[in-house]
Amino acid sequence: MTMAWYNTTGQASETVISSRVRLARNINGYPFDSRLDANGANEIIEKVSAPLEASGFRKINFADLSPIMATSYVERHYVRPEFATKETPHALLLQEQTGIAVMVCEEDHLRIQCILAGLSLDEAYRNASRTEKRLDEDFDFAYSERLGYLTHCPTNLGTGMRASVMMFLPALTRGGYMNSLASQLSKIGLTIRGLFGEGSGSAGCMYQISNQVTLGITEEETLRKLTEAVHQITESEQKARKAINGEALERLTDRILRSEGTLRYAYMISSSEFIRLFADVRFGISLGIINGITYEQLGTLLVDVMPATLTLSSENTPKSETARDKLRAQKIQNLLNRKS
Amino acid sequence: MLCEKCKKRTATVFYNENINGKTRAYSLCGECAAKLREKGDLQEITSMIGSFADPFSELNDSIFGGFFGMPTLRSASAEKKCPTCGCTYSDIAKGGKVGCPECYNVFGDELARTIHAVHGTTTHTGAVPSRHRAKQERMEQLKKLKKSMQEAIAKEDFERAASLRDEIRKMESENNTKDGE
Repeated sequence: MTMAWYNTTGQASETVISSRVRLARNINGYPFDSRLDANGANEIIEKVSAPLEASGFRKINFADLSPIMATSYVERHYVRPEFATKETPHALLLQEQTGIAVMVCEEDHLRIQCILAGLSLDEAYRNASRTEKRLDEDFDFAYSERLGYLTHCPTNLGTGMRASVMMFLPALTRGGYMNSLASQLSKIGLTIRGLFGEGSGSAGCMYQISNQVTLGITEEETLRKLTEAVHQITESEQKARKAINGEALERLTDRILRSEGTLRYAYMISSSEFIRLFADVRFGISLGIINGITYEQLGTLLVDVMPATLTLSSENTPKSETARDKLRAQKIQNLLNRKS
Repeated sequence: MLCEKCKKRTATVFYNENINGKTRAYSLCGECAAKLREKGDLQEITSMIGSFADPFSELNDSIFGGFFGMPTLRSASAEKKCPTCGCTYSDIAKGGKVGCPECYNVFGDELARTIHAVHGTTTHTGAVPSRHRAKQERMEQLKKLKKSMQEAIAKEDFERAASLRDEIRKMESENNTKDGE
């Protein structure tokens, strides 16, 4: 059985954490989300759930979910934060081993998404597309010959496809290349945004690169363009990693080993500190400075020690920030000691 | 109502010009209004009627802000309603999202500029839903048959032309039933 994206690694794991493809679809005969009432939403959820549950999807009704449980799905990247906090009826149909998540009554009636480890856009597209085709048999999707798939927001018209790759770019970040990279990408219709960072900074050196345009370009062309860009960015990142030497490398090595020490032995670790340590240690593994920790372990932690998932994993809900940071440190140490 | 300038397209943009206390209303289509705006002509008029209500002032954060930043233009579609969902164009401009699939038809002209500005085109290429694919294939087949029939007539092969005509009629009536489903 394949594992969830965060417990494994895939192609180009030195620079790529995950790949994601999502298709936006709406069903004719219903208004879009902002004008859809609860009855309509429930009707769509019911109709869509039947064929998906029959093919092995697990239905999670977000209306019945506690906020913390809902947030844990955000932390696993299966839904957007906006979906977790939505007030009208909405549901998730999930097939974790294939990475396929169908958000029902999201901004669009259906957001069919597949997330996989490493650089695997083509496979992610095939998976999402397979589920889309299954639903296409039963539902009349809103479509016009000229504008393609009709979506709630005009920015998704056409293919309704958003493909994105989560990249880990510590050397380019350190070298201050991110702004020029962003402007280069925008010229070819791609966008980049930092994850786990305040403002423009990205403490975790993790970035989401995705297509901006969905109309007038085929799915295949979009995937090809994005994959090509990822290969090029990977090449620059690798060059930048190799270029670190002398005094700079000494200082970086010290910083990385200190971070490993903190990750292994600290008594309390906050989530923002974890993100910084994660980046240092992952960088350390790629540079050969750290040997006893794997990318897979770090990937698991990236989900497991996030606030909601962490809290849910504990029998006694941590009552304070301090208790939670203590629990996080324990969790990290347990996982690192277990496997290494 | 037709555009005063090109007298071809439907007027969707209206504005009032107030010179020395005399007010004159203009009706233009989106394209002519855009052209005037580019030339700066509309800007001049705009500045003269600066106190005119600004229906797009809240748009700064939405995708429409940059493209519909036409301060004193009042779109006719503000009054037009989508018969399916009741959405008006100002609803769309406010939220940056349309109300239902039919809105793309109803507000096609108004949305075209935004769509073009976002995507650089207004024509889809890529996947097609199975229902449309079947229809598209039928239409293409029909086109082929009609062409063959014309060729048969040109060659004076009337027997073949007649059998092709029967085939076309049969397909067309099938299409009508299928579309009516």
